[in-house]
Amino acid sequence: MADPNPSDSRILRIWDSFKSRIPEIWSSISVPVVAVIISLLIGAIILLISGSNPLRAYGALLEGALGDAGGIRRTLEKATPLIFSGLAVAFAFKAGLFNIGAQGQLIFGALVASIVGFGISGIPAIIHVPLALIAGATAGALYGAIPGALRTFTGAHEVITTIMLNYIALNITDYLANGPLKDPTPGNIVARTPKIFDSAVIPDLPFIEWLPLGFVVACLMASITWWLLWRTTLGYEIRTVGQNPNAARYAGMRVAQTVILTMVISGLLAGLGGAVETQGIVYRFQPGFNVNLGFDGITIALLGKTSPFGVIPAALLVGAMRAGASQMQFRADVATEIIDVIQAIILFLVAADMIIRWIIRQRAAAGDGISLSSGWGSNS
Amino acid sequence: MKKLFFSTAVMVLAMIFIVACGGGEESAAEGDCSSEEVFCVGLVTDVGQIDDKSFNQSAWEGVQAAEAELGAQIDFVETKDATDYLANIDLFVEQNYDVIVTVGFALGEATAEAAAANPDIKFIGVDQFQVEPVGNLAGLIFNEDKAGYLAGALAAMLSDSGTIAAVLGTDLVPPVVAFKEGYEAGALSINPDINLISTYHPGGLDVAFTDPEWGASTAAQAMDQGADVIFGAGGITGNGALIEVAGSEGTFCIGVDTDQWETVPEAQPCLVSSAMKLITPGVLGLVTQAQEGSFPSGNFFGEVGLADFHEFDDQVSQDIKDTLSDIETGLGDGSISTGYSP
Amino acid sequence: MATASPTISQTEEKSFLRDNWILLSVLGVTLILILYFYNQNAIVTTAVLAAALRQSTPLVLGAMCGILCERSGIVNIGIEGTMLLSAFVGFITSFLLQDALGPGAIWVGVVIGVLSGGLMGLLLAWMSVTLRMDQIIGGTVINILAVGLTGYFYQQGLTAGDKLRAIPLGPLADIPLIGRVFFDNPPLTYLTLLLIVLVHLLIYYTRWGLRTRAVGEHPRAADTVGVNVYKIRYVNVILGSCLAGLAGAYLTLEAVGSFERLMTNGRGFIALAVMLFGKRTPFGAWGAALLFGFATALNTQLQFADINIPHQFVGLLPFVLTILVVAGLVGRTRDPKALGTAYSKE
Repeated sequence: MADPNPSDSRILRIWDSFKSRIPEIWSSISVPVVAVIISLLIGAIILLISGSNPLRAYGALLEGALGDAGGIRRTLEKATPLIFSGLAVAFAFKAGLFNIGAQGQLIFGALVASIVGFGISGIPAIIHVPLALIAGATAGALYGAIPGALRTFTGAHEVITTIMLNYIALNITDYLANGPLKDPTPGNIVARTPKIFDSAVIPDLPFIEWLPLGFVVACLMASITWWLLWRTTLGYEIRTVGQNPNAARYAGMRVAQTVILTMVISGLLAGLGGAVETQGIVYRFQPGFNVNLGFDGITIALLGKTSPFGVIPAALLVGAMRAGASQMQFRADVATEIIDVIQAIILFLVAADMIIRWIIRQRAAAGDGISLSSGWGSNS
Repeated sequence: MKKLFFSTAVMVLAMIFIVACGGGEESAAEGDCSSEEVFCVGLVTDVGQIDDKSFNQSAWEGVQAAEAELGAQIDFVETKDATDYLANIDLFVEQNYDVIVTVGFALGEATAEAAAANPDIKFIGVDQFQVEPVGNLAGLIFNEDKAGYLAGALAAMLSDSGTIAAVLGTDLVPPVVAFKEGYEAGALSINPDINLISTYHPGGLDVAFTDPEWGASTAAQAMDQGADVIFGAGGITGNGALIEVAGSEGTFCIGVDTDQWETVPEAQPCLVSSAMKLITPGVLGLVTQAQEGSFPSGNFFGEVGLADFHEFDDQVSQDIKDTLSDIETGLGDGSISTGYSP
Repeated sequence: MATASPTISQTEEKSFLRDNWILLSVLGVTLILILYFYNQNAIVTTAVLAAALRQSTPLVLGAMCGILCERSGIVNIGIEGTMLLSAFVGFITSFLLQDALGPGAIWVGVVIGVLSGGLMGLLLAWMSVTLRMDQIIGGTVINILAVGLTGYFYQQGLTAGDKLRAIPLGPLADIPLIGRVFFDNPPLTYLTLLLIVLVHLLIYYTRWGLRTRAVGEHPRAADTVGVNVYKIRYVNVILGSCLAGLAGAYLTLEAVGSFERLMTNGRGFIALAVMLFGKRTPFGAWGAALLFGFATALNTQLQFADINIPHQFVGLLPFVLTILVVAGLVGRTRDPKALGTAYSKE
């Protein structure tokens, strides 16, 4: 495109167009890449100070996360629920809503998917798997609707209500798993539901053993979310409401309805994440599992700059670090908390991208920074 | 400024390489677990840390004792996420460890699965009740209710006010429930009119054992209404209760799991005893049996009982001691029942 | 939002008057209930109320951190992390100095804990004011960083000798009910009660408070009349985070006596809810914090009394109640207009 002389060969043309795009591509990935490198360096300094060997630690981390097919699978499995909860939080951010409640929506999704999984038998997997997934997603959506409706009809701030709803969800699910839904298998003393039937378990893909199907579903949902936000009227309304609720109202948009619908979709994404976790990893609902996955969604959404496609690499990065954490602790005797420190520094550097751009001498594109907390201060 | 950044980065890299090359031999010193001569024992924790002042730590101390006494080569993996249980066990399986200890009832399923897949490796599941015994898997379990019963009897005999309390972790964890039920039954056996006040932490599994502030405040709430003996059974939450009681004159506290005289020295002013489940010797015993080739399968009951009275020995009268030893005998031969069934 | 915005003091007064009858009736009913239960069972009522006050202390401190930050236009969701880090730093300081200083080490620990909270505030202010980073990201960075650093550098088996114990305030402590609840507490609890009044005075009765609120509402206008927006925001965020730091020091050095990983257990997030519940006023936040503290104490008491319902149901009551109250009674909270947005002089 930038080449003034038209080339003869098509391949050359493509190459030229690619070449002309390199700065653009570099500009979009340079900040995260450099951020990760700097964070690893700072992490290395901390490891050195406390007398550990950073190379050995990072080597073990990498080996655990990507060393073999099992490691890659574990990384993808860890990334899957993070993508879902990251999408849930990012989606709500677009409408100016801060959904701290992804955790509650996720565990309700996980619980309901398990109920459908062990409660219904004798149907083929092709029906049972999607049925349980849909049930989990619906549970999350309904639970997400509560703060949306409260916000719209009473003005109760979603930050308060979602924090409260998280605790409520925790109490209810704990009670159910230790009471009416407790696994009746003889000798069982553990608070957990029965195991789901094999027909509700998300099957493996043929031939590609390292790729969990749940991860594919997660990526699919990211694409759908992107499409919804950027290619539909609803998405346009959601973004407008997020940027300027008054303008949205002036333009005749149904702000109240949009707020509720946003929370419903956000909850649906989180609930589906819980269902995938139940049907793909845990095979039942058990207190002590699914801890913090919803809260992690906040970090993932921010790392991914609240974009549906940004969420995927962010979740992969964090997923890989978690998948390799045990290996690192085992082989290099390093406390796994170092990962949190590295993660915090990455997040800081990605957000404060001007620091990195100054280091690599790159100008920021207009409107490149992330801004979402203006949504917190909406005065509706 | 920019130069400074790059030179710092280069320096860090250089340092890393120096350390990396210097520390390379560390792993070479370790023996190969697949060989006959090297006896390897690995431990997988439940979610939490190896130094949790609770069951993970007690089990690890048992493995460490195996290192000292049996010359075993030992290592551990800390579990960060409950979905990793099997993957963490596999870290030891891949290295052909001889014995793998898994800590906590939550690992029961993963341990049974790993045991079935690796018949040559011995597995010890702490707090894991075995319904169908597998040859290479021993569940190390405890009658926590009996330890609780003794603690309750002691509390009832020490109490002047007639009110005793228990500050507990969560009822999602069966051993905690067993301690509580035993404690209450033991206290009632001494004094049927005793005022028993006990409470579980209101939060979920992720916070119930790591909330010392709640433990402390709840202990104070119990003392405000006259409780003069307080049983703190709930990991770090319970420790918070013990430390709170230590600041109050004339009030006793009873610890849990290990002899907390050693693990929570801040509680010494009130700590009359602890309701112990002796995980450490239990693990050591089973590891020893594994090495000797006399590994038991199925359920293996570890020892429970009261810890030493330490500096409170003078304040516990001979009558009390006699009654306690009668109860211990009764619990042993089955003539006394705690009334607890899981 | 459609109404013309009157000056700050007017809105405050108007909304206060409108809510007054609700507030007064709630206070009245509470008082009657307390007296009724005190008449029924004095010891238990006193014990529960004393526990409620204890449990409310870290919450109200955290909420006041939020109030100072948000009044100046900065969202601080890093309260949880600030508390956790200060709890750790305060405890470690007191541990390291206990041989050299004896009992005084605890107080040095408190001061250093508070200062480390201030340092986290400085970090947040730098990120959100100078770097103009998104404020929610800034707070999240602090939260993750605190979990990582405290977990990584945690050492087992450190003991700080003792914790701060209750100091009964002479004859005041002997008054029935009130004496035990208010005048028989450890020092940081007294300090907190004092701070609630001080922060109230700071916000509503000083030039600094007026400027703070102006900056939170309309930084551009404040700037034109010569207010240094950056300075106001920096100082408020640092000051507020010192309060969160005090909450952390309270946890390790007064409430518990040792540090444990993740021991804040979400109190920083509850503090956020408490702040919004109390409409960003110190006394409102105190009331909300007391309600939370009371709910926890009541849950304990109901289990003490062997009420035979699953404790999870009792446990979720305060959260349901909060939602109902926020939805019904408190209604719409009006955020400071410039909340969450960075300001640039241009």
